[in-house]
Amino acid sequence: MVKEVERAGIPVVHVCTVTPISMTVGANRIVPAIAIPHPLGNPALDKAEEKELRRRIVEKALNALTTEVDGQTIFE
Amino acid sequence: MRLEMGHIYIKDIQFASESKIEDGILYVSEEAVKAVALEDEKIKSASFDIARPGESVRITPVKDVIEPRVKVEGRGGIFPGVIAKVDTVGEGKTYALKGMAVVTAGKIVGFQEGIIDMTGPGADYTPFSKTLNLVMVCEPVDDIKQHDYEKAVRFAGFRVAAYIGELARNLTPDETKVYETCTIKEGMEKYPDLPRVAYVQMLQSQGLLHDTYVYGVDAKKIVPTILNPTEIMDGAIVSGNCVSACDKNPTYVHLNNPVVHDMFEQHGKTINFVCQIITNENVYLADKMRSSDWTAKICKMLDLDGVIVSQEGFGNPDTDLIMNCKKIEAEGVKTVIITDEYAGRDGKSQSLADADAAADAVVTGGNANQVIILPKLDKVIGTLDYVTKIAGASEETLRADGSLEVELQVLTGATNETGFNKLSAR
Repeated sequence: MVKEVERAGIPVVHVCTVTPISMTVGANRIVPAIAIPHPLGNPALDKAEEKELRRRIVEKALNALTTEVDGQTIFE
Repeated sequence: MRLEMGHIYIKDIQFASESKIEDGILYVSEEAVKAVALEDEKIKSASFDIARPGESVRITPVKDVIEPRVKVEGRGGIFPGVIAKVDTVGEGKTYALKGMAVVTAGKIVGFQEGIIDMTGPGADYTPFSKTLNLVMVCEPVDDIKQHDYEKAVRFAGFRVAAYIGELARNLTPDETKVYETCTIKEGMEKYPDLPRVAYVQMLQSQGLLHDTYVYGVDAKKIVPTILNPTEIMDGAIVSGNCVSACDKNPTYVHLNNPVVHDMFEQHGKTINFVCQIITNENVYLADKMRSSDWTAKICKMLDLDGVIVSQEGFGNPDTDLIMNCKKIEAEGVKTVIITDEYAGRDGKSQSLADADAAADAVVTGGNANQVIILPKLDKVIGTLDYVTKIAGASEETLRADGSLEVELQVLTGATNETGFNKLSAR
């Protein structure tokens, strides 16, 4: 999906846990997620901490979306 | 380390007033095995049944399959850290009841448990259609959490298997096999010209009822380590795994791991079987990186020439597999990987979620998406209530004539990634 959407001319950020797979399939902007069963959250945190974590991931993704990249890039 | 494995062939299982093994027939007191199962207060009821090869019987949902064994000489006992006290196992003398299994069944997760058919086309695809099966169906107490129930059934299966195994303690085995390993230095001196080869076993450890235990330790909490390969024959590794039935390793497979047994067969002839390395398949990327780093490091430290790597499950563990392969190869150690495929019903899709050029020697256990029709059988042990929900089934699974249209995924052991079943590809 990442590649097809990009082929249509729209930049994509792939937020995913297993970044090596994202590299293999050819995503250009990759943001690491937390874990496979809970990519965008962490049930071990309390609600306020988790909201903070989620916001950080989304902001990082938005930032990645507007960053020019020269080849595949993981935004750590 | 030297382990003598005594095989006692079981020709039939029958219910009787007293549990015993006589002339190759296992007599089981239903009352006694029920009492063993019900030792855990989380289990409300347990019923037992016998399924024989060729009978028109379908067992589902299958959780685990266990071979009864008893330790008769040497340190420790069967299932150390789980049933027996923690002690290093793998030496001395152990008896195994061949030709039979304890099968645990009943609802736990409801979507990732398996089917064993004792006859028909399904039977060709599950190795456990060939064993005489003592099947235990448990019911939990009300309002129990799934993970507590999984643990209760897991332990009940081991207790029953240990109870059955104990019946063989004073018997004379029909056949004895000896498995002997060397220490690192001994092996180098004894087999200076043979390639040094190890077995890297990846253990399913994704959590959420996808777990494996090593000496009672949850495998997601281990870092890669080495085992003497005979340790697994005494139950050092056990399944607590409710992942897709076709390619999880039931405890029976851990006890009889064909990679270990085949490597022993070649030990001292074509290879020096140095050791077994165990690693995990966790859901955090940092864990995947750490574990594959350590596995490669251990291979290097042991000066190995080659390894065989087996995977368990599919999907994100494909990445663990490829990371292991890539990093071990980068240390100059050759790899052969064993996996299975999810290549779509037509077999045309990409088989693994990850790939690398280093993975140039691959053995497959078959395509788990392959469709099979399982005809209606006369008897069901367990329940068909979840048969449309298990992984590899769908809402359309149950057909008007009572047959099931499913993917091989639903059949316990169908695409096993240790070569325990017969499927592969050329």
